[in-house]
Formats: sequence, structure tokens, C-alpha cells
Amino acid sequence: MAEPLWGQLRVQGGRRRLWILAVAAAAVLSALGLGVRPEGLVPTGGGSSILASFLGAAFTPALTYEVAVPAGTSPLVLKVLDALRRTLVFAAAGMSLAILIGFPLGLLASGAVWDGRPPGRSWVLRLTRRFGGTAVFVALRALIALMRSVHELLWAVLLLAALGLHPFSAVCAIAIPYGGTLAKVFSEILDEAPTDSVEVLRASGAGRWQAFCLGLLPRALPDMAAYAFYRFECAVRSSAVLGFFGFPTLGYFLKIAFDNHRFHEVWTYLWALILTVALLEVVSSALRRRVVVR
Amino acid sequence: MSIQRDRRAEVRALWRDRPRSRLLPWTLGLSAAWTLYAWLSPDLDLGGFLARRRLDNLLAFLDEELVPYPLREAPFDLGVLWSWLTGIWNEVGAESTLATLQISILAIALAGVLAWPLSLLTARNFARPAPFEALEHSGGPGARAWRWTRRGASFLAILMRAVPEYILAFLLLAVLGPRSAWPAVLALAIHNGGILGRLGGEVTENLEPAPLRALVAAGARRGGLVAFALFPLTLGRNLLYFFYRFETCVREATVLGMLGIVSLGYWIQGARAKQYYDEMLLLMLFGVGLVLAADLTSALARRSIRRG
Repeated sequence: MAEPLWGQLRVQGGRRRLWILAVAAAAVLSALGLGVRPEGLVPTGGGSSILASFLGAAFTPALTYEVAVPAGTSPLVLKVLDALRRTLVFAAAGMSLAILIGFPLGLLASGAVWDGRPPGRSWVLRLTRRFGGTAVFVALRALIALMRSVHELLWAVLLLAALGLHPFSAVCAIAIPYGGTLAKVFSEILDEAPTDSVEVLRASGAGRWQAFCLGLLPRALPDMAAYAFYRFECAVRSSAVLGFFGFPTLGYFLKIAFDNHRFHEVWTYLWALILTVALLEVVSSALRRRVVVR
Repeated sequence: MSIQRDRRAEVRALWRDRPRSRLLPWTLGLSAAWTLYAWLSPDLDLGGFLARRRLDNLLAFLDEELVPYPLREAPFDLGVLWSWLTGIWNEVGAESTLATLQISILAIALAGVLAWPLSLLTARNFARPAPFEALEHSGGPGARAWRWTRRGASFLAILMRAVPEYILAFLLLAVLGPRSAWPAVLALAIHNGGILGRLGGEVTENLEPAPLRALVAAGARRGGLVAFALFPLTLGRNLLYFFYRFETCVREATVLGMLGIVSLGYWIQGARAKQYYDEMLLLMLFGVGLVLAADLTSALARRSIRRG
């Protein structure tokens, strides 16, 4: 007798199959709902000529301006390098502030800090008993979720309206959501770090904070540093995009060049960004390979 | 006494032989130096930030402009607030929140489709003449062809993920026009396809080679390996990454609307242009709700997949 469909799907690996089917169905429904059709992928009219000349410029990025510029304008290469430098300055400032926000928040939001025992057992109970502070804990988690779930560009829009166009608005726009993400990931890393050394230290009489600082933190720090460096790579991309909102990073000049159809110059900015991100990625994956020993 | 000295020597030996990497101090040092430079550089203009009028602007913004406008002159009334909120939700909120969700679902599904071949072609153990063999035969035209295929695929994946979604969508918008949601969908699909492709490549490279070698020895060819061994073996991990990227996709789909594509961002940008900051904040909060719902779904999916 044939098994019912549900039963067949629940054989080993059935959950994965169910999720794949769900995703496929949701994707089809989304495409229908959005009204996107395959023929919409073919550029028409002005689009196809833009595409041709844009792609044609890909391997010949401009080294000098494509059009005449007023005398005294700094050379294109220097301008690109300066935009790149500012992109990296905003990213580094935003990221360092994010670490300052994310590290303490991550410590406070991890179960491992509240006691020296393996997390996940009954920290909620213990927390309630000791501090009556579940509310504080939940509020902390909510704050982290709120920081994270607003995109950095939306933070930028808010901060632009509140503070005006100042470099520090861009730095904060990166620091707030990245701080939230770091806090979440740091707390997870702390919760998942091996607790054997903590237990040994506790058993030989160390206090909770001693055990935490000497037993747990050193085990988790390399992981945290590698993750923070990976996020720096993301921050560089975000910082470049912030240029679209008027900050003097790569995106600002890229948008102007594209709007004026100077595609070779667009590619100069694009390659500057791509090479920087690729370089950071090589370093960050090498770091993770070497530092994160499991 | 001598036992103690032995201990000290032992500790010293352990310290001397500790795993060391020159990369770590260099990266840390350079990062710290660059951060210091960033904070001191005139580009940040920290002194100019603390101007009096900026503080006034901030206070006015918090006190005045973020307050829902029906409540600005009148005393607080929950009913008024609720009808303002539902008014905006019915007018634009519901439709654009749904569109944001649809864009991100379609985009992540396409990203998965793009990433799957990349995850095979960038894997060192698969993209070579004899897959999963312990020793790589160097030389020969086959080896060279595979090497270039692998490099090409890796380069493509790097290009795809190095350009931010927002810039990709901006470029695609000029090419495809603002008639459809394709620029946003494609931009998200390309960027996330590059990321998932690389993560998937690592999953393929980390596979246990022995069973796969056994299959090859038993006569399995590439097509069979892919369909009946690699796909099921990598599926679990790949799905975890897939749902993890879905979260980011939803967040990103919101802002791509600011370029002129019908997601929440389109209306956020509209409210911003009109300086209706109360409405802008509310639309952002709709986005927050959507992101939190997506986070929850993704967490549920990942937990259910981990359980097998």
C-alpha cells in the first residue's frame, strides 16, 4: 500500500526536503506576486547600449579623466586613492566604535558571564534568583535585536536627519548595527566556547570572574578577533555605499561618474573597491584558518 | 626545589613551542595603527561635530519631528495613534512589506541556484582531473583546464561578492529600468550567490575524502558523484548557510527600495524627501518587524535542519 505523501517526506532527511520544497514554492509565489518575468531580464532601448558600453569598459579602467577637467584638479588616480583612504577611515572608525559597543553588550548578553557553569542549563532561573533581572536580560537582547535589524543605510538616513551631514554620522551609522551584530555573535561564541578550563579553575578555587577572564575569554578571543576582522571587510563595503548618501567615500564619486556616463572611471572606482575587499578577504580567511583551532 | 625548577623549564618550553603565527600580530598591529590614524585624521572632524546647532537639531528631531503628526499639538491619545498607524499600514505599509519579503525570497532562491555550481567548481578536491584522489597529478592538458576552470570560478565568485548589493542594484537599474523588481532581485542574488558559492566551496573541500574515493574506485563518474554523493552530503551545511544569508537578504531588500524599486525603502525615501520623519520612522519599524520575523523563521529552519 502506498504511504501517504506526508509519511514519505518524513523518511530520513525529510526535513531538508520539506524546507527545500517550501523555499521553491515560496520563490515561485514571490515571482508571481512581484510580477517579474524572464523577459524583464533583457535590457531594452537605452538599457542595452548602457550595458554594452559599461561592460566594454570593464577591463580598461580609466587612469586619467575621460573628459576635460578644470586646471588644478588632482589626477584621477590620486582622487580614487583618496576616496579609498576615506572609505577605509570611515570603516575603521565605525568598526572600532562597534567593537567598543559590541564587546560589553556581548559579554552581558551571554549566559556564560552570569555564572561560570556551562551555559544553557538553567541560567534563566539562576539569573532570576540572583538578580531578579530577567527583565534586564530581555531588554538587553531586545536592544541588540533593534540595533541589528535596522540596516546601516537606514541608520544613516536617520542620523542624517538628526545630526546633519557630518562624517561622524556615517561612523555612527556603521557602528550601531555592526555593534549589535558583534554583540550577538560574541555572545554566541562565548556560549559555545569550551568550558573545560573554566571548570578546572572553578574546582581549584578560582572566583567566577577569575575563571571567566582566565579560563573562558582566552578560548573565545581568537574567534572573536577573526569575526571582527571579517566584519571590517563588510564595513568597508558599507562605507563605500554610504557615499550614495553624500559622504565623501567611493560610492559618492562612483555615482557621479556613472550618472555622467563616464564608465571607464566607474570601473576605476569599482576595481579599487573589489581589489581592497578581495585583499581583506584573503587576510581574513587566512586568519580564520590559522587562529580558529577547533 | 629541583621539581619546581623542572616545572618552570617545562612551562618555558611550552611557552616557547606555543603555536605562533606571524599573520596575527601583523594584522592586529596594522588594524590598530589604521584605527588610530582614522580617529586622528581630519576627515572625521570630531571637533566640528560637537557644534551647538547640531545638538539643537538633534533635540528638535527627537522632540518634534519623530512624534506622529496627529499627536504633535494634541494630548496623547492611543486611538489617534492607532488610526495613524493603521492608515499608513493600509495605504503603503502592507503592500511594500510584502514586496520586500517577496524580493528577498526570490533573490535568495536564485542565489542558491547560482551558488551550487560555484561551490563545486571552486573546490580544490573536486575541480581537478581525478576528483578526490589523494595525489594531484600535475601537468597534462586536463589538469591545466581544470586549474583554469577553478581559478575562473573563484574569480567570478569574488567579483560577485565584492561589489555591494546597493551598487549592483544601482548599476542594474540603469540597464533594466525601474519597471520591475528585477534590479533588486538580481543584485541580491548575485552578491549572495558569490558568498554562498564560497561558503559552499569550503563545505565541499572539508568533506571526508575516504567514502568519496571508494565511490570513484567503484567506478562512479563525475555526474553520479555530484548527484548522489556531493549533493546530499553538502546539503545540510549549505542549507544552514542559505537560511543564515536569508536574514541579511531581507534587511538588504528593504534599503534597495531607496533606489526607486517598490520595497519599503521606496516609501522610506519618499517620506524622507517630504521630511515626514514620523512616517519614515514608522515604515522603518515595519521593516524591523519583517526582519525579526525572518530571523525567527531562519532560526527555526536551521534548528529543524540540524536535527536532521
